[in-house]
Amino acid sequence: MNKLGYALRRNPAAAVGLVALAAWVVLALVGPSVLRFSHTAMDMESQLSAPGLNGHALGTDALGRDILSRIVYGSRSILSVALLTSLFSSVAGVALGFSAGYFGGKIDAAFMRFLDILMAIPPLVLSMVVLGALGDSSVGALTLIVSIAYTPATARVARSALLSCKSLEYVDAARLRGESHAYIMFVEILPNAIGPILVEVTARFAYSIMMIASLGFLGVGLQPPTPDWGMMVIENKTVIREAPWAVLYPSLAIASLVIAVSLISDFLAKALIHDE
Amino acid sequence: MTNKPLLSVRNLGVRFPSPDGEVVAVRDLSFDLGRRETLGVIGESGCGKSTLSYAIMDYLSAGARRSGAVLFKGQDLLLKSEREMREIRGNRIAMVYQNPYSALNPSLTIGEQLDEVSRAHRNLGKDEAREASLTTLRELSLGDPEGVARRYPHQISGGIQQRVCIAMALLCRPDIMILDEPTTALDVTTEAVILDIVAGLKERYDMSMIYISHDIGIVNKVSDRVAVMYRGEIVEHGPQERIYERPEHPYTRALINCMPRAGVKKELTALNTIPGYVKRRSADEEGCPFAERCVKRSPGCEDDYGLAELEPGHFAACGRAYADERPWTREAEAAARATGAVPEIAGAEVREATSDENGPEPLLSLRGVGKFYRNQKKTVRALDGVDFELFKDDVLGVVGESGCGKSTAGHVIAGLAAADRGAILFDGGEIAGSWQRRDRRALREVQLIFQNPGRSLNPSFSVQAILERPLKKLLGVKDPAERRRRAVEMLRKVDLGEEYLSRRPRRLSGGEKQRVALARAFLSSPKLLVCDEATSALDVSVQASVLNLLNELQAESGASYLFISHDLNVVNYVSDHVLVMYLGRVCEYGRRDEVVTPPYHPYTEALLSAAPEVDPARRDKPIRLKGSPPDPTRPIRGCPFAGRCHKKIGPICDETPPPRLALSATHHIYCHLPPEGLQGAVRL
Repeated sequence: MNKLGYALRRNPAAAVGLVALAAWVVLALVGPSVLRFSHTAMDMESQLSAPGLNGHALGTDALGRDILSRIVYGSRSILSVALLTSLFSSVAGVALGFSAGYFGGKIDAAFMRFLDILMAIPPLVLSMVVLGALGDSSVGALTLIVSIAYTPATARVARSALLSCKSLEYVDAARLRGESHAYIMFVEILPNAIGPILVEVTARFAYSIMMIASLGFLGVGLQPPTPDWGMMVIENKTVIREAPWAVLYPSLAIASLVIAVSLISDFLAKALIHDE
Repeated sequence: MTNKPLLSVRNLGVRFPSPDGEVVAVRDLSFDLGRRETLGVIGESGCGKSTLSYAIMDYLSAGARRSGAVLFKGQDLLLKSEREMREIRGNRIAMVYQNPYSALNPSLTIGEQLDEVSRAHRNLGKDEAREASLTTLRELSLGDPEGVARRYPHQISGGIQQRVCIAMALLCRPDIMILDEPTTALDVTTEAVILDIVAGLKERYDMSMIYISHDIGIVNKVSDRVAVMYRGEIVEHGPQERIYERPEHPYTRALINCMPRAGVKKELTALNTIPGYVKRRSADEEGCPFAERCVKRSPGCEDDYGLAELEPGHFAACGRAYADERPWTREAEAAARATGAVPEIAGAEVREATSDENGPEPLLSLRGVGKFYRNQKKTVRALDGVDFELFKDDVLGVVGESGCGKSTAGHVIAGLAAADRGAILFDGGEIAGSWQRRDRRALREVQLIFQNPGRSLNPSFSVQAILERPLKKLLGVKDPAERRRRAVEMLRKVDLGEEYLSRRPRRLSGGEKQRVALARAFLSSPKLLVCDEATSALDVSVQASVLNLLNELQAESGASYLFISHDLNVVNYVSDHVLVMYLGRVCEYGRRDEVVTPPYHPYTEALLSAAPEVDPARRDKPIRLKGSPPDPTRPIRGCPFAGRCHKKIGPICDETPPPRLALSATHHIYCHLPPEGLQGAVRL
């Protein structure tokens, strides 16, 4: 912990990222209970009211819904979906990448070619098509499909992290002790390969936020009434001249969260990979 | 002196910033380098040898601060700008590094890289540059310079690569050439060839050299004067013979004595060791840097300290330690040595030779073992029909150049890879090939020690976890308290305390790591310990203490060792029997004294001749092998060594496999020559 404090003081950017992310998490957890307006309540008196008017700190949209409430509610869904996707894709990626790299040979070739095929389809296109075809954009479906779309990249990172440790003699020593493959992969190698994998998890977290926002923007993300930042941008696109805040604040929310997570990811990369 | 110094280093200091305050890498260092003189610099790793050379060349990292003066032809290099230094680097002072492969550009041919030097530094034209490159390569006894110039670095062997690097340094006709451990990454036979070349360079090219090495045997071969560095200071320097014969500083003496050398065998003596390890030096530390580890420490060590000329040309930072032995005479020293040991080791523990009289019992027998690695269409025959025996309570040393199959043999025996042919008999029965098919008992009884302890201990685990895992897995010790007790007990046996349990490998020194690895291996009471270059990655003083420990553990446990090493001096020290391998086959096998004395296999003779001899008086007529081992993918009909053999008889060597020639009940050789032809020194 002391070391972390020292490292953060030397990397003010990472500290900024950490503070911003913490602020979003706190807001998502306690925000809804202290807000004045519900995220679905339509204030018919003040549609498209400017920030600060009628008690709407960030203004309202065309239906008179409070932008601040919608952003805070939206942070709940986007944070939880992004967290789950980055975790699922990492777990699946580590399992696939580790088995491919560890067993090598034909298993490696088969796994990696399969992942290559998956990778050839851009994640956004893949998610859009599948979600569109399913016609179901629940939190579960969204999490699942984005996780699948991101697994190949994570698997590649995990595989190369494993390969850099696999030829080291402590692995041979474990074999000569009669350890199982799972023990060697996950107890002997994983702790030493964790750096790049953690960096990948945080990077995937940032990508997931963008992906979910993009899917919302394209209309296949989370469906109303769940507020979604990407959807808020597209909904209010038509009133951008009259009420630029309705587009600006959700966009800023997306940007601030992505930047915060990316700064943390860069910091981890520096601390866990390059400083070894 | 008529020989006015070419390079004169005065009170040079180098400091690096670090989180725990400034660290002194080089401190108050002064020496002169005359024209056509070679200065050898020795010391353990971390003593500032390389930093010294980087300080001269101004190659230090950004945070480093230099003080003092480096006078080259009267000009202070420390005051030169980067632009002026560029004129001097390469042109006037050239450098050759340890690893030739990373010093060469892999995407350019050797010719292009060499030509570039002459064109950039000497403004030669294209054809002139190529002519100069080829001439220089030819002068370094490369047989086919045109062929080498056409190739890329990965297509030529390490020895030739290093000669190319030396050629590159020579092309500018520098005044000084700095060589930083240029042969450490090479095989002994190649090393011997490079050293011969280096020794002749200064006369031929009228230049001076600084030769940095950790190995006093190597330094003795090429140097006129030797400087001994310890923790950033020169503690002693003087003429090469004097440093070896009459070291004045206790560190020099300890360093020389801890190297295994011809005539020093485990039955006679334990190796001298230096307690403690090389610590970093902080800026405010005063007094003798060696005081803490010195056996001759006295209250005056803090202040009565500084280089003094004890005899003409011989300076030492400590005049007191061995003052009572002065005046020194060669006769007295020779008499002392003739008794079997230099004074330091005289009191050491004497171990009984293993008695083989009543017929030794074999623990391990290899019968026609073959191991082939196939890739694409080629097959590398790493082991090709190897037979040998390892007896109970015995140490079998395995030597040979890299690629001779000694490590493969170790891995096959330890179970990391299964043999493709033949059988391995262990303790009365055949043992399964690979680890997957070996039972717990077999895994327990055969243990492997790796070359690099930093890589064989998992950096994420504490020493406790590292030691307790085999107890649980191989011995089935269920009780955690019992596991801990046995781990501590084993740590004590390798001279480490209980406090090490909680440490991670990265907080251990190289020697401590190898001790932990040894503890891990001995926990399961193995009958056979395969040591694959177990001491090669360690500093000489640490190597000595680990070798002593290995001997103690063997005497205590009665385990047998298969001791694989490229270092003949080390093998000669620890082994009872010796196996010499070449290209996946056995050349010679026998009791140690039979193998290292004539008659011997021509390859053994060449290896012995190439081994750097610590004692300069013991140099004799060298035998140098030409070229490198042949392509292991090509099937060989006759003797694998025929192509490089200095005693080759004729076509029979190429066409017929050499017969097994028994020279005694315990000693055999694979060679076509009659025993009379296998005498050393007598050239046929």
